Amino acid sequence: MKTEDIRRFITDNVSADDFSCLIREIDSHETRFAQNGITQHLAGPKMSITLSLSFGKKSGSSSTNQSDEKSLRELIKTAEDIARLAPEDPEHIPSAKEMKLPKGENLSQATLSLTPETMVDIVQRSIDKARAMDAQVSGMCEKHHFKLCMFTKNGFNGTDEFSSFGHSMTLKKGEVETKVSYDSKDYAGFDLDSLFARLASQAEALREMKSFDAQKIAVILRPAALMELLWYMGWMLNRRQSDEGFTPFTGMLDQQCFGELFNFSSTRTKAEITANSFITGWGMPEGIPAMETTWVENGVLKNMPTSRYWAEKTDAKPSGIFNMYIQGGDTSEEEMMKMVPRGLIINRFWYIRPVDMKRGELTGMTRDGVLYFEDGKVKHAVNNLRFNEIPHEMTQRILALGKEELASASAIIPTALIKDFNFVDKTNF
Amino acid sequence: MNYLDLAMDAALSLGAEYADIRIQKTTDQVVSMRNLSLKNADIRIIDGYGIRIFKDGAWGFAHNNVFSKEAVIKAVNRAYEIACLSAKVNKDKKLKLAPERSYIASFKTPLKVDSFDVPLSQKVEMMMDVNSIMMAFDGIAQTNFNLIMHKDEKLFASTLGTRLEINHQFIDPVITATAIHGGDSQSRTFDEGGRAVGWEWIESMDLNEKAKQIAEEALIKVKADALGPEERRTLILDPNHLGLTMHESVGHPTELDRVLGWEADYAGISFATPEKLKNYQYGSKIVNFMGDNTLEGGLATMGFDDDGVPGQKWHIIKDGILNEYGSTRDTAMEIGLNYSRGCNRATYYYDQPINRIPNLYLMPGKEKLSLGQLIADTEDGVYIQGRGSFSIDQHRVNFQFGGDFFWEIKNGKLHRPLKKVLYKSSNPEFWNSCDAICDERFWRPFGVVNCGKGQPSQTARMTHGASPARFRNIRVGGSQ
Repeated sequence: MKTEDIRRFITDNVSADDFSCLIREIDSHETRFAQNGITQHLAGPKMSITLSLSFGKKSGSSSTNQSDEKSLRELIKTAEDIARLAPEDPEHIPSAKEMKLPKGENLSQATLSLTPETMVDIVQRSIDKARAMDAQVSGMCEKHHFKLCMFTKNGFNGTDEFSSFGHSMTLKKGEVETKVSYDSKDYAGFDLDSLFARLASQAEALREMKSFDAQKIAVILRPAALMELLWYMGWMLNRRQSDEGFTPFTGMLDQQCFGELFNFSSTRTKAEITANSFITGWGMPEGIPAMETTWVENGVLKNMPTSRYWAEKTDAKPSGIFNMYIQGGDTSEEEMMKMVPRGLIINRFWYIRPVDMKRGELTGMTRDGVLYFEDGKVKHAVNNLRFNEIPHEMTQRILALGKEELASASAIIPTALIKDFNFVDKTNF
Repeated sequence: MNYLDLAMDAALSLGAEYADIRIQKTTDQVVSMRNLSLKNADIRIIDGYGIRIFKDGAWGFAHNNVFSKEAVIKAVNRAYEIACLSAKVNKDKKLKLAPERSYIASFKTPLKVDSFDVPLSQKVEMMMDVNSIMMAFDGIAQTNFNLIMHKDEKLFASTLGTRLEINHQFIDPVITATAIHGGDSQSRTFDEGGRAVGWEWIESMDLNEKAKQIAEEALIKVKADALGPEERRTLILDPNHLGLTMHESVGHPTELDRVLGWEADYAGISFATPEKLKNYQYGSKIVNFMGDNTLEGGLATMGFDDDGVPGQKWHIIKDGILNEYGSTRDTAMEIGLNYSRGCNRATYYYDQPINRIPNLYLMPGKEKLSLGQLIADTEDGVYIQGRGSFSIDQHRVNFQFGGDFFWEIKNGKLHRPLKKVLYKSSNPEFWNSCDAICDERFWRPFGVVNCGKGQPSQTARMTHGASPARFRNIRVGGSQ
């Protein structure tokens, strides 16, 4: 069945008091290459239909990836059987109501019309460029077309459609390893020559490596590195978890717990990044409009992601992080290097995990190249390092911000100069 | 309609050198309870097929969820076209497949009570009892019980003539109590990591008693002292904790695709390179690791992998020396092996299988040694139970682990509980510092159900196991 037919069938056949339904469709083409050859190459459509429903305060849900009538009847029956067997949920809330949703502009014709042949050509050219410098390249060239449709008994009606194109490359030449990536809704902005030139330039800068011990030291975090840290911090901003005492942000709403230079929002004003119309829940349907939201303004925590249930309980507005916009500045990397006596330039982080949820402390490693600078100039590369750091406290040590860059399809992030970043260990490469 | 034969005939007629089809229906029942609120009770079904074609040294893979003759043929054609496109790029770097024979076989996870047959009301009632027990403790601020039941029903056919029917399932109960005290919040979790068994496993565990224990221990933990600055100390690690440590520091570095650099762009590569085989001192002489996809109850025990290669048992580390990798048909040939160890697994029908960690475990010590004797034999150290924070570099050398519950050991006795303990170590220092392993009476298996790897990302499951073991001279301290 087509989406509209599925919607009609569900609406006509659910006998429960209330329901929410989310239909997701994805069509993907993914070419994975490693060490100058293609190792995986896959394509195909995926879809899922998730139905959550309730009898009074008793809820159940079910999902399927089959859209024939028999499967949909089974879907409804399974969800209704589960709901009948479930106990009353003291935190039950009715499904989302009819509401005006913001309109997303997330589709790129350039991405949608990209052919497998062109994608393989991008991979071939990436490999040719690597071979020309006697190096090996690994990465992923991928395109996706997403469609979402959510509707409820109470009249919520949302649709979203996205495209995305990504091409990542990790170059290995001798002991040097470094990575660049392009991730955007729009293939039209992709330029392999300039992306590879950046990769080659990063590799060249990393040629001379010296051992470096862990210590507190100033860092220039390039956008990909800063983004990775802040996504993890974003998870800790959950309002309910904070209100109930499990995160560092308990009682911190409207308080200055970030640095004054730090501004973080989910925005609809930046055309380069994806902005949905609505936000779904972890276990699926929620239906929260994706409205412009300032999370942190000049270091003050202004809003926290809040579920519909917790919003109702606390008289707050439901909200969620649907993209990440960190306001930048105008300081170049060269100027940043002159602002501190010495420091490290970090391309990316890797394997970030919480160490202490209550304090908001994370650990992780640097990856894909670390450069040591002194007296305003890059001196040499150094080994990778482990950090244990608290991101919201780290923002209090931001000395300068660089210009904003597209860090992923859903994030605009600047480079940041941060003092006393807490490295605690080193590795042997 | 026999889609298996249809797809294989179509692939051969196109000129495929090798092809396989995997029809896979995955059913998950996930029941989540936070305090006494049922947050999730659902059944998810993902059903479809993936077709792999090998042509001129390259793969093409296409998948679909529509079951019709036309859709299957379309997927075969698409996989073939993709393989041909890949082959143009691979003309100077052709993949090869290790030889394999054909099999006509079936496998079913041995179980007494199918967990999907147990009524939801019985599951929910059990979960409410468990959470109620934990909530009755003063100071417990949040309780969570997540119950996952997972089933894969697969039909596999290849152009080698293999025809397999595989029914694999597992169950995974995870219970957490979180305490708040003096501005701190600490959790304690009961998590065996899942096991490929039926509901009888749940019934064999006294979960109400476990709930009481973890609630008590969460309260002990939140009031415990934090450890001071880092110093070199002795560690005793329990089997559950070791499951995660070996997963990260032995399992991933010995996946052959990582060794070959096939994960260089994402999950990373490995320090355990082929020239180290048979000569590299990965661990002390008492350290023996087995890859074993025949392990009873093992999450990676499913008869055959998604290459159609049977489950096997082999030494990955033997008497401390790196012995062999976990391999697949396409990775094995890259280092001159003419056989695969059967480690190619996909998560869902739409995933192309990749080289995965097998069931991997540390063999018990050969000398009789109990946990009590091991603690009594330790002058000064820290005993770590359960899993906590974990992070390792992308070559799998340097790592930092936390845990779930900690005791300081003084003069051969558990001296005081601790919290916020971390240890830092690296390969090969860590496994070479192992000087004692308890005997087989104390050996326990623990699963991992959330092993993320690959682009596009996939989640695999495997079982690890160990007896409690001791490690000397490790950097142990508080966080920061």
